[in-house]
Amino acid sequence: MTLYMVQRCLFDHLRRLEAAGDGPKPDIVTEGYNLTDEEKRAVTEPDIGAIYAMGAHPVIINGFCRALGYKRADYRPLLESAGVATTAKGKPRWQK
Amino acid sequence: MAEIVMAYAAAHAPMMTADPGSAPRQQAENFFGALEKVRDVAKETDVQAIVMMTGEHFTNFFLDGLPQIAIGLDNEHLGPPEVWLQVPKKMVPSDAGLAAHITASLIEQGQQPALSYGMKIDHGFMTVYYWLDNSMELPMVPIVLNCTTPPLMTMQQFYDFGVTLGNAIRSYDGLERVGLVAGGGLSHFVGEPRVGDIDEEFDHWFLDRLATGDLSEILSMPNDELALAGNGTGELRAWVALAAAMGSAPGKVLSYEPVYEWINGMGVVLYDGDNAKVQA
Repeated sequence: MTLYMVQRCLFDHLRRLEAAGDGPKPDIVTEGYNLTDEEKRAVTEPDIGAIYAMGAHPVIINGFCRALGYKRADYRPLLESAGVATTAKGKPRWQK
Repeated sequence: MAEIVMAYAAAHAPMMTADPGSAPRQQAENFFGALEKVRDVAKETDVQAIVMMTGEHFTNFFLDGLPQIAIGLDNEHLGPPEVWLQVPKKMVPSDAGLAAHITASLIEQGQQPALSYGMKIDHGFMTVYYWLDNSMELPMVPIVLNCTTPPLMTMQQFYDFGVTLGNAIRSYDGLERVGLVAGGGLSHFVGEPRVGDIDEEFDHWFLDRLATGDLSEILSMPNDELALAGNGTGELRAWVALAAAMGSAPGKVLSYEPVYEWINGMGVVLYDGDNAKVQA
């Protein structure tokens, strides 16, 4: 439906995981967010690259990946495959 | 009236408490050694309470209502919510009188901070605070800043905020000795392909400017240029606000270590000269 609702779904899931503590980890809940089939697939599979390509906030992606047990070396292959072009351009003032 | 008797900025990578042994030994010793020096200064100055700024990580606010600046106003705040942080969960005392005074004073000076009761204090605070006082009894007034969700306040705007924050603390007559702390930075990348990269060139450039007290190049930097050093690096807004509160006094760089195992440029800068007070 909207990027906000995808992010809300992930955010609520992370809060449920936090509340569960060391107990059984709850499955992600997609009902109530009015997600498209593709959005449901991306968050339940999960397809981190697709979530990244939708434009999800990096702090949300970070929390979701941490909960899934991904390590730092996993991000590049997971996210570069999404084919999102970097918006970073130009030479910053601190580079000689 | 209160005096800012100590001020410092430090990186707050979660791994520094969650898995400190994962860093190369010498790097960890240098970084933690700097935090120990800060702890000694806190003891020497007999600081009564601290005011601490750090970035919001969607611990207290989300996209349905995200303030640029919010102040915790309770008598105590629960932290940390992250069970994996290896910091005991505790209600950390605050100084509600100081928090209320800061909020009122900031508004009088033209700032518009959000008010927050029930604020939780996550790794952004607790990693650094736990190293300052592992009994977690030192009162802490928490302030969260939006450092990751555009549109963002600029470095210049956070500098201006910091000046008013310094004024607010110094005009409080309920305490005599207050500390000011900034958590976050240095360069790091979050939730994107470059996670694990550290822009060492940026970190040195930034620290060199804090060390001289000439922040002009930092303050004129647009947000999109700052983001080239990492999408988590914007937490340095807290460092700039702290430098402003201290009247742009030269900061003493106690340590800098690019700790790739912690995916973070790790630094500590201490201010022992209160230029703003001297100039007043």
